[in-house]
Amino acid sequence: MVSIQTPTRAATTVTGPTRGYRVFQGVNAVILTLVVVVTLYPIINIVARSLSGEHQIRAGEVTLWPKGFNLTTYKIVFQDGTFWRSYGNTVLYTVLSTAVAMALTTIYAYVLSKKDLRGRTFLVGIAVFTMFFSGGLIPNYVLITSLGLKNSIWAIALPNAISVFNLLVMKAFFENMPAELEEAAQIDGLSTYGTLLRIVLPLSKAVIATMVLFYSVSFWNSWFSAFLYMDRADLMPVTVYLRNLIAGATEGGNAGAAADQLTQAAANIQSVTIVLTALPILAVYPFVQRYFVSGVMLGAVKG
Amino acid sequence: MTNTGQLSRRSLLAAAGFAGLAVLTGCGSGDDVGDSKDLSKKRNGAMKKYNAGEQFKATKALSFSVLHNNNPTYPRKQSWLFWKEVTKRTGITLQPVDVPLSDYEKKRSLLIGSGDAPFLIPKTYHPSEVAFVSSGAILPVSEYVHLMPNFQDKVKRWKLEPELDSIRQSDGKYYLLPGLHEKPKSGYSLSFRTDILEKIGVSLPTTWDEVYDVLKAIKAEYPDSYPLSDRWSTNTVFPAAALLSYLGQAYGVRAGWTYENITFDAKTQKFVFTGATDEFRQVIEYLRKLVAEKLMDPESFTQTDDNAVKKLLAEKSFAISANPQELVQKYRYNLERQVKGAKIEMIPVPIGPAGEIVLGGIRLENGLMISSKALKSDNFVALMQFTDWLFYSDEGQAFCKWGVEGVTYTKSGGQYKLKPGISLMGSDPKAPKDLQKDYGFFNGVFTYGGSWQLVSSTFGPDEKKFQDVMARRKQTPIAPAHPLRSAEQEQASLWETPLTDHMNQNTLKFALGKRPMSEWDDYVTELKAKNMQQLVDLHNKAYERYKKDNG
Repeated sequence: MVSIQTPTRAATTVTGPTRGYRVFQGVNAVILTLVVVVTLYPIINIVARSLSGEHQIRAGEVTLWPKGFNLTTYKIVFQDGTFWRSYGNTVLYTVLSTAVAMALTTIYAYVLSKKDLRGRTFLVGIAVFTMFFSGGLIPNYVLITSLGLKNSIWAIALPNAISVFNLLVMKAFFENMPAELEEAAQIDGLSTYGTLLRIVLPLSKAVIATMVLFYSVSFWNSWFSAFLYMDRADLMPVTVYLRNLIAGATEGGNAGAAADQLTQAAANIQSVTIVLTALPILAVYPFVQRYFVSGVMLGAVKG
Repeated sequence: MTNTGQLSRRSLLAAAGFAGLAVLTGCGSGDDVGDSKDLSKKRNGAMKKYNAGEQFKATKALSFSVLHNNNPTYPRKQSWLFWKEVTKRTGITLQPVDVPLSDYEKKRSLLIGSGDAPFLIPKTYHPSEVAFVSSGAILPVSEYVHLMPNFQDKVKRWKLEPELDSIRQSDGKYYLLPGLHEKPKSGYSLSFRTDILEKIGVSLPTTWDEVYDVLKAIKAEYPDSYPLSDRWSTNTVFPAAALLSYLGQAYGVRAGWTYENITFDAKTQKFVFTGATDEFRQVIEYLRKLVAEKLMDPESFTQTDDNAVKKLLAEKSFAISANPQELVQKYRYNLERQVKGAKIEMIPVPIGPAGEIVLGGIRLENGLMISSKALKSDNFVALMQFTDWLFYSDEGQAFCKWGVEGVTYTKSGGQYKLKPGISLMGSDPKAPKDLQKDYGFFNGVFTYGGSWQLVSSTFGPDEKKFQDVMARRKQTPIAPAHPLRSAEQEQASLWETPLTDHMNQNTLKFALGKRPMSEWDDYVTELKAKNMQQLVDLHNKAYERYKKDNG
């Protein structure tokens, strides 16, 4: 984002950038480079480990480039039924939960964006309230259980269906839409739903793409609600599987854990699983990113 | 002893409750408050006569829920022979509730807290059951062990009463059915590169003085190395947690990850603060000497396990803490592949001033809690009998560990042997099946404790040598029961954390030579400023009270 701002700022000065500004740019460049290194290094390291021999990993030789290149671990993980079942669960949970979340968030945000809505402040209020106060772990658990949602996909999809932050961003976006457009649509005979579906939504692709990205990333990465509400291992998403795998490998030395029950999961099984888990998100990001930047900014500036 | 007093108070309470209910509803007969001691209505499916050594078989098909710690090394499968065979032998179907090992404790608390816990809650390490006592969600199992003949038989035969007393709460009851061991099983000790020792002509040390000499000899041969670079300093609040635990044992003091702030001093018959005892100081002084003479890597107290092992594999160090599994699977396996002619062996815990001892109390392993809800069930007696058979009978224990004779193992002359084609923890890498992964036996959820014959049946040659020596050592006496009341418990935990932190920080400072030993008294004064004496007094008070109340 800084790279977008820099040229416009620089262009406004007539005599070229001041000394202070150049220092600022220099410092910026250094800091941002550091941020990039800090962010990228672990990713590259994990990828390199996943492609390396176990030997070299143990000896600590692997940093940025795979050593003792081999794909055996990938083959092992690919043959693991549990991994694929968990992976399938993650895909299912993410797709369904995102769809539910998008439907509910869009409708709620659209309604809230109407200034003439009666009780609007109250409706915004109850949403924002949940941002600051929650029932707590055990009451939530009791609620979900007594609603009979335990061990079902709805236990994951419904409680997280509306993220208040996303809701407010969408609401701001809809508020910015010219009221005249909708008025014209209504004059031409469109109902409220017609206006939303045919006029408003087609004009909101940027914010929708952003929200889909937000929601799907958070559902993809989430493990806690599945961990809470699922009682059977075959319902767990891949994040829980991964978390368990890593814990199983590190807990071997704990005094408490009976050490003879735990054999060491190879360091590169972990890396391979991490790579495979993060891959879809990494692959999708570049494509959605242009919507992402504009989508977030759109709600931010109000005229 | 306690029962008579408890019973009358209990029935009084029940009567009061009953009367209150009758007044409130005007009709008391509808609700079954009853005396929880009367189990005659809860015998659905139970055997009329069930004795130790007898096969339990429910008279009716029943099913019990069980919390299942799902280990990533052998993820649970519904197709495991274990489940089918349990049902076949006992008529009980187990309904597992899967919880990933990574967050087992969290989910357990949640389930108990929300009243949704399964009947059986295994893999509970004392004292984590204490947190649930006051809520009443956990059954005071000590009141019902008369339904468990095998449990009682083992406690009696192996003289485990003092151990059980140590887990009693302030009401005199215990809430955890622990795994029972016939003999103490030790875990950790030092391992040495024996090929190096051979080369420089020294033999494996048997005492801590000899350990010092051997490290010194290695240092003379490899002046640039730290002969000992240790691990098990991460994932625990204690630095060099394993080393300190068995070094402390040699001095008769709980240190490292066996550390407890409070120790019973048999001489004065009083509780004292562990981190301020003279023995504890000697332990630290020993480490200080090793560090000062550069025999021990100062990073031992902070580095990750991986780093410590890397140093061993890179021949930057020649000794490291070990347990039999790590020795075989990690050190030896990798050394043999990376260093030509490398040999490594684990020694029995070297002997120190306290003589040939092991610390008492290690004959109890993690165990299981039973949900209070179970008591309301008609099947309660059957549940207790079933639990007794599966977890405490010789037959049940052998079954959980080795499986079905003729299918997964064969037995001759007391020796268990896996059937060909079945592997256990890498015993036969070419075998198509795995006892844990494919059959569901040797599962940490159901396998603990047992006779020495059964426990030692899975030892590899290294472990057998180690355990045989260790099992001959004398156990130190167990501290008498001194349970705190729940308000006291809260107060104590507020004091304990800062005290433990201060002890740990100063262990490091003293051992690394950053603080002179002459300041030991100052350190004790600092502990006093952190309520050390109050904590000790609290425990002594509880001890006196318990003695008075329970004879």
